[in-house]
Parts: sequence; structure tokens; C-alpha cells
Amino acid sequence: MNDTIVEARNLIKHYKDLNALDNVNLSLSANRIYGLLGRNGAGKTTLMSILTAQAFATSGEALVFGASAYENEAVLSRICFIRESQKYPDDFQPQHAFRSAALFYKNWDQAFADRLAEDFQLPIKRRIKKLSRGQLSAVGVIIGLASRAELTFFDEPYLGLDAVARQLFYDRLVEDYAEHPRTIILSSHLIDEVANLLEHVVVIDRGRIIMDADADDIRGSAVTVSGSAETVDAFLLGRKILHRETLGSLASVTVDESLGSRERAEAQELGLELSPVSLQQLVVRKTMAGVGSTGVGSDTGDFADDTLEARR
Amino acid sequence: MSRTVAVARMQLINKWTYIGWPLTILAASFLMSLAIFALIPVQEGKYGGGSQAPMWYFLVLGIQSMTLVFPFSQGLSISRKAFYLGTLGLFSLIALGMTGLYLLGGVIERATTGWGVYGYFFNIPWVTDGPWYSTAAFFFVVMMFMFIIGFWFATIFKRWGTSGTLVSTLGTSVALIGLAALTTLLGWWGYVGSWFAQQSPLSISGWAALLCVLLAAGSYATLRRATP
Repeated sequence: MNDTIVEARNLIKHYKDLNALDNVNLSLSANRIYGLLGRNGAGKTTLMSILTAQAFATSGEALVFGASAYENEAVLSRICFIRESQKYPDDFQPQHAFRSAALFYKNWDQAFADRLAEDFQLPIKRRIKKLSRGQLSAVGVIIGLASRAELTFFDEPYLGLDAVARQLFYDRLVEDYAEHPRTIILSSHLIDEVANLLEHVVVIDRGRIIMDADADDIRGSAVTVSGSAETVDAFLLGRKILHRETLGSLASVTVDESLGSRERAEAQELGLELSPVSLQQLVVRKTMAGVGSTGVGSDTGDFADDTLEARR
Repeated sequence: MSRTVAVARMQLINKWTYIGWPLTILAASFLMSLAIFALIPVQEGKYGGGSQAPMWYFLVLGIQSMTLVFPFSQGLSISRKAFYLGTLGLFSLIALGMTGLYLLGGVIERATTGWGVYGYFFNIPWVTDGPWYSTAAFFFVVMMFMFIIGFWFATIFKRWGTSGTLVSTLGTSVALIGLAALTTLLGWWGYVGSWFAQQSPLSISGWAALLCVLLAAGSYATLRRATP
């Protein structure tokens, strides 16, 4: 399926002193799980807010199901976006929030919501105001899952959830997604935890999309080569280096390229060790590469410093 | 349309917010007033202002529907228009029900000569002196006014933050003081006084209703661009 259901064109969101979104172009297809990854303040929530018409772009266009979501009931009724800092009516208990969601989502599954509440050990008759951070997150997660909206956003849904609850969320998400395919956008900075769920990865940094690729294409798109510093450097001469670490005379260098089988064989002959780069490593390295002055120049600069340091 | 109705139903899921608390506040205020009336050993009409107690709660409701219910409605992808119409519609119904209760209370009160203790809670001099529909209009409009003013201030706050609220509050005060100063300068207080003397509860309700409509329209214009 390649029906585009979300399309952002030249989105710019300008706050007083920063560009929260800096010319974002994005196109998302139906029935996939997307990861929207990036650091805190990178623009993840802003982007999701604008797509769902909860906030307004300074300029540019955001289309969901082919139209702007703003005041558009036909589009809005197919979207669910519970934000990380979601507010609830003062007297509401989780059960009230669930019954509210049931009024607005035609695919709402109350039995599923009840089961999830039990899984998360959520006290559904306690005032939401009195819930812990993790329980508050659970309320949002349950609404997001049980609403079965065609386009569901999860905004850092794991805040305050313990490891067991997080795993539960990931498991339930995958199970339910298999039975009821829909488009899910999972914003996260715990990348390793969600890496296996994602079919497509969008990385945003300082308001710009710095990576937009299929998870399958990303796996193996970068590799870390380690061995004696001189051999490694000679082997990787002229390649796109993302990161370099040295320990004594040993170096471990991450390149933003995949190696062919001939190159892999060559590396083995040279006694170099090849290891895969996790999605989290890749995102961190790419984001950090952007923080430095930019481009290949700074990479070689780091390279020289590291080399000097290693030789001392 | 159905989503507008759903917005109203959503806010009735917890019956306390819109029904339980107003009735509790009214009952508590009524019983306390009655106890005080009974303690005053006077055999003539005693009037208290206790029946205004729920009005202040309506002000709070107006504020909270903007600061808390609106963000929640956004999370459920409810359009701003559906939220606005559903919330205002719900409140109109509540105000209508409360007005009915006040009228009924007033009738019983008169029939029992102030609950047997000459205490008047629902009857207020001047306000309830006219025909029943004038009394009804007055109560209804006052309740709507309290809710809408709370809602309006909260929309200003949501949209423009503390500074916006401050500017609009100060601005309103300055404008009112300016009007008063102008009236003094021109020596018009006499006219103002006689204008007020000519007003009936019904005409005051009319003016207040006009103000409600203006504030409600202003709130909607602001809400259209508000973010949760």
C-alpha cells in the first residue's frame, strides 16, 4: 500500500526566538508504523500538533487524508493524538476519559480498553489529577490504542512507565496493529526500545528532517570498523565517517555507508572487525554530526585531533 | 452535529461537574440561610444573598471548560466549533434547569411565607418583583453571564498568556474608569442615575444578554485560533 495519508509541505513554525520547524517536507503512507525520533525540543510534538490542527504552522501546508485537519470533522474523526502533557477535565477519572473517547471514535473497543487498564494496573476510578506520571501515561496509551483511529499518534508514551509496562505497551501495539492495521506514529527518544517495531524512521533535529528512510534500508546502512588505527584509517580512506573512537593504538570508526561482500572479505583479511550499528547509535551519530560545524571538514578535523591524542 | 451533542454528553459523563456540585452548593447555601433565618427572632421578611452561591461555581466552570476540557477535546480530535457549541449548549441547559429550580423555590417560598420562618432565599427584592418571566430571564442571563465571562477570560489566557489577560483586565478597568471620569466631567451622573432607575429586571437582563452575546462571539473568535 502506498496511499499517502499525511503530507507536509514546506512546514515552518516560527516561535519568537527559534524555528521549531524549519521547512519540513514529509509524506507518510497508510498502514505502517512510523518512528518520529529526535532529541527533546527537536520539534516532534510541534510537528504532530500541526498535522492534527492542534497548533498552527507559520507557513506551509499540512494535509491529512488529503485535506487540512483544521475544523474538518471528516478528517479529525479519523485521528487520535493524546499528547505527552495531555490535560483532562478536573473531575475526570480514567473511566470517564475512556467513555469520552468511546463517544468520538467509531472503532473504540471498550473491552480492549478494560483489558489494557488491567494490564497496566491502572486505577480507573481514581481522579486523573491524583495519578502518578506513569499512570497518566497509561491513560493516554489506552486511549490511543483502544480508539483504533486510522491515524494514531503516540507522543513519548512511555514517560514514567516502568520497563514491564513499556514492554506491555510495545507488545499490545504490535498485536493490535496486526489485527487492525492503521497508521501509527510513535514519537520517541528511547530509540533502541522501539527500533524493532518501526517500519519507517523519521529523524528530526532542530526542526529539520535529517533522516527519512525505511527501517530495513537503515539496518546495515552504516557499519563500525575496528582494529589497529592505521589499518582502519587506510581501509576507510575517502569514506563518509560518522564517528571515530580510539583506545591506544586501536580505532573504532563508524561509516555512513554499507560495505559490499568484496569489501567485507578484504576487511577480514586485514584483521578488521565489522559490527552493525544500532538505530540508536546511528541516530545519535547523525544528530551529533549535525551539531558540529558541518560536513566532511569537521569529520577530518576530529580525525586529526583523535589521532594526535592517540599518539601521545 | 452529532459530535456537538457528544461534546455535551462527554461533560455529563461525570455527573458531579455540571449537576451534582451546583445542586450541592445550592442545597448547602439554602440550608445554611434557612438556619440563620430561623435564628433571627424577627416576624418580618428576612432576605439573604445565599442564592448567588452557585453563580460563583459557574464562573469556575467557565474557566475550567476552557483550560481543561478544551485541551482534552483537542486530544480526542474534536473540532473547536463542536467543542464551543457543545459546551455552550450544555451550559444553557444547565442554566435553564437551575432557573426552573429557582422559580419553583420562589413559588414555594411565597406560599409558605418564607418556609415558616419569614426567610426569603429565592425571592430577592426588585429582582423577583416582576412577572415570572422577568425573574426567569434575570436568573438565566446572570448564570449565562458568569459562565461566559469565565470562559472568555480563560480564552484570553489560553491565547495570549498572563500578559494578555493582564492587558485585557487592566484595559477594561481603565476604560471603565475613563467612562466614569468622562461622566463626571460632563456632569452626566444625574442622567445615568435616572437611566438605571428606569430599568426593570427584564431590561437589565436584556442588556446583560447583549453583553453575553458579545463576549460569546469574542470567545469563539479567539478560540478558533487557540491551541491546547
